[in-house]
Amino acid sequence: MADQDHKCTCSEQPLVPTVVEVIDIIDRTPDVKSFFVRNVDGNGVPFQVAPGQCGMVSHLPIGEAMISCTWQEEQEYLEFAIKRVGLLTDELHQIEVGQKIGVRGPYGNGFPVEACKGKDMLFIAGGIGLAPLRSFIKYCFKHREDYGKITILYGSRSKADLCFKEELFELWPKQPNTEVFTTIDNPEEGWDGHVAFVPSYLEEVNPSPNGTIAVVCGPPIMIKFVLQSLEKMGYNDEQVITTLEMRMKCGIGKCGRCNIGSEFICLDGPVYYLKQLRDLPPEW
Amino acid sequence: MKVLSKARLQAALNKLSDQNEVFVPMQKGSQSGYFTWKSFEDGQDELMLDALNVYQSPKTVVLPQTEKMYSIKNGGMEVNIDKTYEDAHPTIIFGAKGCDVKGILAMDEVFLTRGYADSFYKARRSGNTIIANACYEPGPNCFCNAMEVNSLDPDGADVILRDTGDNYVWEVKSEKGEAVTAVIADLLEEKEVKLPAAKPFTQKVDYSGVAEKLKDMFEHPLWDKLSEPCINCGMCTYVCPSCYCFDIQVKMWGEEGYRFRAWDSCMFEEYSREAGGGNPRGASKERFRQRFLHKLQFFKERYGTPLCTGCGRCMIVCPTDVNIVRIIDAVKEAEING
Amino acid sequence: MKEITNKIQATATKLFEEGKIDVFLAWEQQGEYEFQTNSYIARNAEDVKNIVFNEYSIYNVSNTLLKLRDGQERIGIAVKGCDSRGIVRLLEDLQIKRERLYIVGIPCPGMKDPLTAARNHGGFSKTKAEDGLAKKCLDCIQPNPVIYDELVGPEQSPRQQGDRFQKIKELEQMSADERYKFWEDTLSTCIRCYACRQVCVACDCRTCIFDEMKPQWVGRETSTTDNMMYHLVKHAHMAGRCIECGECERVCPVGIPLMLLNQKLIKDVGELFGGPEAGMQYVEGAKPALSVYRENDPDNFL
Repeated sequence: MADQDHKCTCSEQPLVPTVVEVIDIIDRTPDVKSFFVRNVDGNGVPFQVAPGQCGMVSHLPIGEAMISCTWQEEQEYLEFAIKRVGLLTDELHQIEVGQKIGVRGPYGNGFPVEACKGKDMLFIAGGIGLAPLRSFIKYCFKHREDYGKITILYGSRSKADLCFKEELFELWPKQPNTEVFTTIDNPEEGWDGHVAFVPSYLEEVNPSPNGTIAVVCGPPIMIKFVLQSLEKMGYNDEQVITTLEMRMKCGIGKCGRCNIGSEFICLDGPVYYLKQLRDLPPEW
Repeated sequence: MKVLSKARLQAALNKLSDQNEVFVPMQKGSQSGYFTWKSFEDGQDELMLDALNVYQSPKTVVLPQTEKMYSIKNGGMEVNIDKTYEDAHPTIIFGAKGCDVKGILAMDEVFLTRGYADSFYKARRSGNTIIANACYEPGPNCFCNAMEVNSLDPDGADVILRDTGDNYVWEVKSEKGEAVTAVIADLLEEKEVKLPAAKPFTQKVDYSGVAEKLKDMFEHPLWDKLSEPCINCGMCTYVCPSCYCFDIQVKMWGEEGYRFRAWDSCMFEEYSREAGGGNPRGASKERFRQRFLHKLQFFKERYGTPLCTGCGRCMIVCPTDVNIVRIIDAVKEAEING
Repeated sequence: MKEITNKIQATATKLFEEGKIDVFLAWEQQGEYEFQTNSYIARNAEDVKNIVFNEYSIYNVSNTLLKLRDGQERIGIAVKGCDSRGIVRLLEDLQIKRERLYIVGIPCPGMKDPLTAARNHGGFSKTKAEDGLAKKCLDCIQPNPVIYDELVGPEQSPRQQGDRFQKIKELEQMSADERYKFWEDTLSTCIRCYACRQVCVACDCRTCIFDEMKPQWVGRETSTTDNMMYHLVKHAHMAGRCIECGECERVCPVGIPLMLLNQKLIKDVGELFGGPEAGMQYVEGAKPALSVYRENDPDNFL
């Protein structure tokens, strides 16, 4: 991938975070919380984020983790949706509004928002995978005329595990030329929506590949089956975009952990066209 | 040509040590590596400038085993980053062979290019001068000539020494080289001496085409056989002059502490273990394959030069005799099916 | 040596042909020099011709068993004295089943260290170290295998001379401050390469304590504190379990005298709990000294 002009918070010291304040915390699901951060002095955000880019979020005494920024609201705040999976995220879930944490970024190449203009968009997500896609979805809605039909297909383990419920059920279906499909894995009381795994629901809905770009994000096993389904439905490798995930430490393509083939996922990715992924060793 | 008589070597090292931290290859007790000239103890330690090389490479000077990054002060809701620990104090690596110099140049590519410049590495490197030692007699395990290293004229050196028996020819190559030369100018003489003849390499290695061939060999069965003896101990990565992978961790005592980075190794199991428990390289064979593909293929694809510099250290320290040359040979001979 | 190689090859071939084993673990010589030996897994009768037993076959083959512990293969294995103690270690730790193993025991005449030979040959030392027996072999107290299904070669006598714990007693005589300084100086040179852990057959935990992050027990820094913690914790895990194969000290790239720590623990465990030393005999159901509670265990430190 081409060398880009990366501008991170402290571009002279890319490994040192900026201290920011958490101004709001919203529970999205039993194990996902959205953290809203802003500069400590109340003015603005530490850096500008393009859809799909990530930041290294640190609870300084514990450690750092690469989290995709799910939305930047002008200069008001950056929103990070964080799932509780390990040591650091556990600690983050216990902090309160007003806590100071560290962020550095923006890292990664972001979604190709320009290249997708004029196309129909198909967003497929599973579980917490909706968080990185949400930045792209909201961008499309913000510039609605630039994009064609928007289809969002999202699945999660259970009703409680569906993220961003307000947007899924209230806001997004009301947008022009937009369809939203949600599904959960197993039948449940109080849910009269669709019940199926994401790949099979996708084949059922069967959105046409004509002039469409599919953007996929979710657990690795879901991505694997969704990619197979898309192929069956007639999508070629240049129509499918996905985001990769590896353990990351430095975020700037130096420490070697996220290295797959000759790429560093934190620097050259994490967004890739399927065509590019076919050239990499199959470790993702 | 400028010449430094070996009789004056100690005086030169002393003079350079006034303003710089000078690292020389040394046998220090049971350790073999680059240590400061100031720490040399007569009778106990041995200067290894005329030996082929030492176990630990000089990469410790620009990328230390452990390095503090910035301090953290934690207080309830507040947290502060007081200090960052960039260290640009002047250092000199004295007597590095071509393979080791190439290792540092490879790390320069990683740390200083591609969008971000690592500020800690940058500081150390900016204060660092490399005085290389041209290598006229390759060892039995050496194959730097096959890995794009010029052992007689190493790229990136600020000064090149040439050992003629009684003297070192002192060849200045850069501005930084001029600066250190000025420090010991009165110890140098102007005279013509005969340069030694370069001996040939005894180990023949053919690396050509390996990087391209490896592109199709990710799932090849030869990795099963080659990785069998490996016990994933990590020694190869630690003595390698060009291995640079690091970990970032935190050290806290109550409310205060710092973040630091330390060497890490792709050989260790927890290297790519993700928070949720998944591990794309959980098996020993996968990590083994990753190391050699990185050295021989991925780095070349990304930066244009192989990451292995042909120094031969890994072959000497490996407890189970894993040998990168045998791997290169095996790749060359391997048949790729369809 | 050649005789023993032939006998091992003959046994291995027979076992493969009779379908009694799926793999045979021994050593092979991979280069033109004798010291270029490493561990080898022969997977069929064809592979057997690569098996070699020479004076550099020092590597502890029982360590390779750890790679196969989860499988079902029946394993033939050639072991020297120290290696066989490693097998006892794994059997006691319930890491492998006795029924899977066919053990060919080799009474060991003492080995030379291939790492020293490689170092001399490679040009990394100015004065060539002596090419005699490896240090660990000079201190050997058990060259004859303690567990085997067949024995090849004549019985050998232990090579350890004089007081086995001489060096330990010297250290014990030092004052606490002197001892602390000695260990501080030595352990601060550690580069935390973890070779000692990987090559140790008694280190058979699936997730090593030093790889744990939740919580992290010992930091990654090579500060004296973290280094000392690493060594103290690792060797404390060896108390009553170390089989004294000496591999850890042999492979250490900075030459830390790790066997001093292990031998001190062997001496202490012997004095406090008595009984046979770790790995010296295989009794089914036996456990290491520190894994057993007896009412009369010494407790004057409580």
